[in-house]
Amino acid sequence: MLERITNPEEVRTWSGAVPIEHVYTVGVAGEVFFRAIKDRGRLVACVCPDCGTDYLPPRLYCERCFAKTADYRDLEARGTVHTFTVAHFDLDGRRLATPELYAFVRINGSGGGIVHRLGEVAASDVYIGMEVEAVFLPPARRTGSILDIAYFKPVV
Amino acid sequence: MAKVAVVGAGMTRFVRRAQETGRELAWQAARMALDSAGLTLKDVDAVVIGSAPDAFDGVHMKGEYLSDGSGAWHKPCIRCFVGGATGVFAPIQGWYHIASGQFDTVLVVCEEKMSSTYPHPQGAFITIFDHTTERALGPNLLWIFALEMNRYMTVHGITKEEIALVAVKNKKNALDHPCSQLQEEVTVEDVLNSELLAWPVNRLDVSPASDGAAAVVMCAEHVAKRVSERPVWVEGVGWHLDTAYWTNRDLYYPRYVEYAARMAYEMAGIREPRKEIHIVEPYDPFDYKELHHLEGLLLCKRGEAARLTADGVTQRDGDLPVCPSGGLLGVGNPIAAAGLMKVCELFWQLRGEAGKRQVPGTPRRGLAQAWGDLMQVGTVIILGV
Repeated sequence: MLERITNPEEVRTWSGAVPIEHVYTVGVAGEVFFRAIKDRGRLVACVCPDCGTDYLPPRLYCERCFAKTADYRDLEARGTVHTFTVAHFDLDGRRLATPELYAFVRINGSGGGIVHRLGEVAASDVYIGMEVEAVFLPPARRTGSILDIAYFKPVV
Repeated sequence: MAKVAVVGAGMTRFVRRAQETGRELAWQAARMALDSAGLTLKDVDAVVIGSAPDAFDGVHMKGEYLSDGSGAWHKPCIRCFVGGATGVFAPIQGWYHIASGQFDTVLVVCEEKMSSTYPHPQGAFITIFDHTTERALGPNLLWIFALEMNRYMTVHGITKEEIALVAVKNKKNALDHPCSQLQEEVTVEDVLNSELLAWPVNRLDVSPASDGAAAVVMCAEHVAKRVSERPVWVEGVGWHLDTAYWTNRDLYYPRYVEYAARMAYEMAGIREPRKEIHIVEPYDPFDYKELHHLEGLLLCKRGEAARLTADGVTQRDGDLPVCPSGGLLGVGNPIAAAGLMKVCELFWQLRGEAGKRQVPGTPRRGLAQAWGDLMQVGTVIILGV
């Protein structure tokens, strides 16, 4: 029985799934963040009044000193590529018809950033330090989700 | 072993559906516990996080997810999980972090956000059962515990009316808890006439699904004496696992609770628990479980707990107050947080800070117990002043 089984039908099996669905609240700070994306096409940051750590996306509390954060402010959805990758396979190991670009974008005027797709740019043209800006869905199609941002594109 | 004290406690309100994320709930409870101890995050050497299945919050690696709200930034941190028994196991882990001499001050945070599982957290339980022999039948915890309740009732000849008295008592006690989810007094008739979920379990025999968090701050003796005028000492801890082949057990008696209790009693030097324990917070997700667990804790003979309840012995002003907090049946049941809520309750009771819930007669020693995994894990902690 220590032989490796290559055909799953050789032994009796039972297929099943973990059939669990969820509805997540975005939380107190998340409410501010996603409303700004949906209503104003802006990103919100906040600051810890004690240690000055800057949070984008905003957090209700500072993880470093446990103070309640303050100074919620709108920022333009612009920043620089901190790092990026080009994905060639999907979650199940299937080759993507078109490779996808993903980047960690540090947002100007904040200590934080977000991970998102890059668009309107060829993989060979992306570089760390590139200036990018968010492309939002039209207001009527926004739902208050991180996908209200279609992707980030180079600032020209 | 070094002596360990609890010096602060905090909890959120327990609610059916919180707007706060799990980590925001964790922060509220953790911050409250630190504030109550007059300490800040700088004073904390390590963090212990307790949370039950990842499936509830819908976040895999929930310990990592909760770490920032639990104060674990740049600190040694561990998450423990023994199902429903987690809320009492987390402070046990906090205890051995300190008793080992490794840390002086540990923040213990338990959280559960069950409302994320949609439409109902019950759906998450399907995956805890054996995937070939049991899952095909579509089990849920209501009928699994109905099997245990029926066995318990039949072996001892206990009626549903006698068991319903536990729900009536705990929901009444919860009226005095500022964090409680249920604020409704019920009668035995209400319990018996509530919706039948899986015979013999009716809706009011069961605790609600909840969101919430709770936290305690634990210290080594030399720190506790410096920061606290009234430290509450950990006198005993115990935990025990019975077989997960639950068809190999007789469900009428929780042997795993007895073994966990014996371990804690031995450590605390307790020979006659019925006389030496002044407050009990046994795990009560179902009303019959309070009775089942009182017997496992050796606080009465097997089959005798229903009579103690009927005689009023377990009322808040009775000879052996049981669940003066209001328990899971009244305060709510955000799994891990519910267990730690019981430890918080002992802390407040033993310091005389329980307000309208205060048990009369300056109790000196209390016991909290939780139970979980596939109904075969018992965790017990004994606190004293």
